[in-house]
Amino acid sequence: MSALADSFFIFTIDLLAFFALYLIVTTSLNLELGYTGVPNLGKMLAVAGGAFVAGYFPGRFAAWLFGVTPTLDYVNNNSQVLNLVSIGLQADVPLAIGLFASTLVLAVLVGAILGYIASFPAIRLREDYLAITLLAMAEGLRVVGNNYVPIVGGPLGVGVADVFGWIPVNRFTFLTFLMLGLAGLVLLYAEFVARSPLGRSLRAIRDNEVAAEALGKDIVRMRMRVLVVGSGMAAIAGAMYSFYTGAVIANSFDRTTWTFVPLVMVILGGSANNTGITVGTFTYVTVRKLIAFYKTALVAFIPFNAVWLDPMLLGIVLIVMLIFRAQGLVPEKPTFTLSREKLRAIILQKS
Amino acid sequence: MVSPLVINSIAYSSVIALLSSGVTLTYMTTRVPNFAQGTLATISVYLAFTVAKVWNESPYLYQGVAFGFSGLAGLGLYYFVMRPLLKRAASLVTLMIATVGYDLFLFSIINIYADYLTDTYAVQTRKFNIGFSDFRFNAFGLGSNLPGIFLVGPLTVGILTVVLHLLLTRTKFGVAMRATVENPALAGVVGINIDLVYAVSWFVSGGFAGLAGLFAGVFLTGNPDLGIVLLPSIFAASIVGGLTNIYGALVGGFITGTAEILGTGYLALYVSTEILKYQSFVPLVFIVVTLLVAPSGITGVDWVRWRRRLESLLSSTLGAFERRLSRVN
Repeated sequence: MSALADSFFIFTIDLLAFFALYLIVTTSLNLELGYTGVPNLGKMLAVAGGAFVAGYFPGRFAAWLFGVTPTLDYVNNNSQVLNLVSIGLQADVPLAIGLFASTLVLAVLVGAILGYIASFPAIRLREDYLAITLLAMAEGLRVVGNNYVPIVGGPLGVGVADVFGWIPVNRFTFLTFLMLGLAGLVLLYAEFVARSPLGRSLRAIRDNEVAAEALGKDIVRMRMRVLVVGSGMAAIAGAMYSFYTGAVIANSFDRTTWTFVPLVMVILGGSANNTGITVGTFTYVTVRKLIAFYKTALVAFIPFNAVWLDPMLLGIVLIVMLIFRAQGLVPEKPTFTLSREKLRAIILQKS
Repeated sequence: MVSPLVINSIAYSSVIALLSSGVTLTYMTTRVPNFAQGTLATISVYLAFTVAKVWNESPYLYQGVAFGFSGLAGLGLYYFVMRPLLKRAASLVTLMIATVGYDLFLFSIINIYADYLTDTYAVQTRKFNIGFSDFRFNAFGLGSNLPGIFLVGPLTVGILTVVLHLLLTRTKFGVAMRATVENPALAGVVGINIDLVYAVSWFVSGGFAGLAGLFAGVFLTGNPDLGIVLLPSIFAASIVGGLTNIYGALVGGFITGTAEILGTGYLALYVSTEILKYQSFVPLVFIVVTLLVAPSGITGVDWVRWRRRLESLLSSTLGAFERRLSRVN
């Protein structure tokens, strides 16, 4: 009984962790794709960027602070360095927290810069060029991460400095709730953006570019801003994913996991609706986890390895939703203007 | 004796040229970049594998089958995904995302088939190499014992280019196709079956991908994600070619393919072998440079204007030089 309860607990925690991670990514994708109509098929770029920061910065910085680097190389003697660092960080809680916070900030900055660089060549062109360029950029970053050893150890990867060694409770449980909190903040921010005048401008750009431009909206600048902000948000997910798994391997960032899966979640839940994408993300993460969990039991029902059920479902769900219910499970709501009384009050106040 | 680097580069360029011309063809008719093009080719990579490893025959004998198989997959993409969406007047973004969905679906099917082969015939279906199935030939002046792909690849591209050119310029259907590309609504008004034109373009595009996949299977390391890995190169070639010109895509395929294999190969020889690792970075460079310098690709550049500009620049500098000379004298 206890073993069952334990496995259920682990299942739930892992589910919630991935829900939180993907929620951050889908929120950023929703801001780009749902509200602005920018098809970011290179979402993986910012996620990988954030993860690379988490692999590159905190361990190295702490090693420099504690003075372990002269004898040991960060990449080649990664586990030794990280062991020494984690002992030091366990003793110094404020430093650990500060290191974690600064890593997140740095990840956001790097993600935003990557978003700027990636969108620069094609931001003035049609959406298809932009999508292709972003996709190629994401692949490019992965290639660099996988081959240029000093960043995240190349094909072997590096460990991430353990900044949560001081926590008395289970590390994964704590991190899961931390990620849920971060996801909530990101979602709240996206909701504020969506309800602001900026959000309405973004929808105007999506629905009728020419009309928006005629009304004086700088389309190129708005698109770029959205891509920069969205990439910064997605970088948080990348950094948190690395802290959660404790390692960064460049090749683990593939197009399906970090670009297409969030895409399916947004389309399934309903683009341009933050409630919708929350529903979509939760549904899809649960289905994926259940498939992974009951992999062996599924063998009796399907004539192939259940691993391939995942991409197959992704494809089918995406196509079926686009054809039969393009608005998603929870459709986009119209933006409400102020009520008549409030408007009158404002007008009376001004005059 | 031709260096193996050149042979590889020619073979690779042929594959990319075939794939990118397919992407361009469907882009011209339905105006959507097909993100599933790479995986359409992977179908035929596994056809080549089955032929070579299980049936012990030459994959080249199955070119027609590869064309048909991947062509049917392309047709399926049109009939089951594109057509319903086009009827619902879906946006460009929706159409693009839908091709991504088809790509994922095909990817899972290919993996299931690969698992089936492993279970049934006890063969390694991941990271395989079936170069042994290629024939060897001797060419006067070029060397002996050359791999067949060096001959078949460019030859197929050449034949297909001629056939496609004749189809588009000399047949009634080709003219109808061009009319549809120019103005679908007007083409429909004069009685052209637009639906048929679209369907044929998706079939032919898939068929090109099939041939490319067959060749890729023979000389590259085959894996279910081969097409997905090739995707940036395919789009780079299409963008270099201008995305709306099939001949441009063919030229673009040879430019990017050569740069990717021959360029990095020679740089590795003379600069540092480290460069070889960044081979897959080359398509990105091509995309960025093309979009920044000439967004409409090599076929969109007004070469006549550039020549005139260059000539006037030359003549003015020469004139200034002459004047200075005369002043000195």
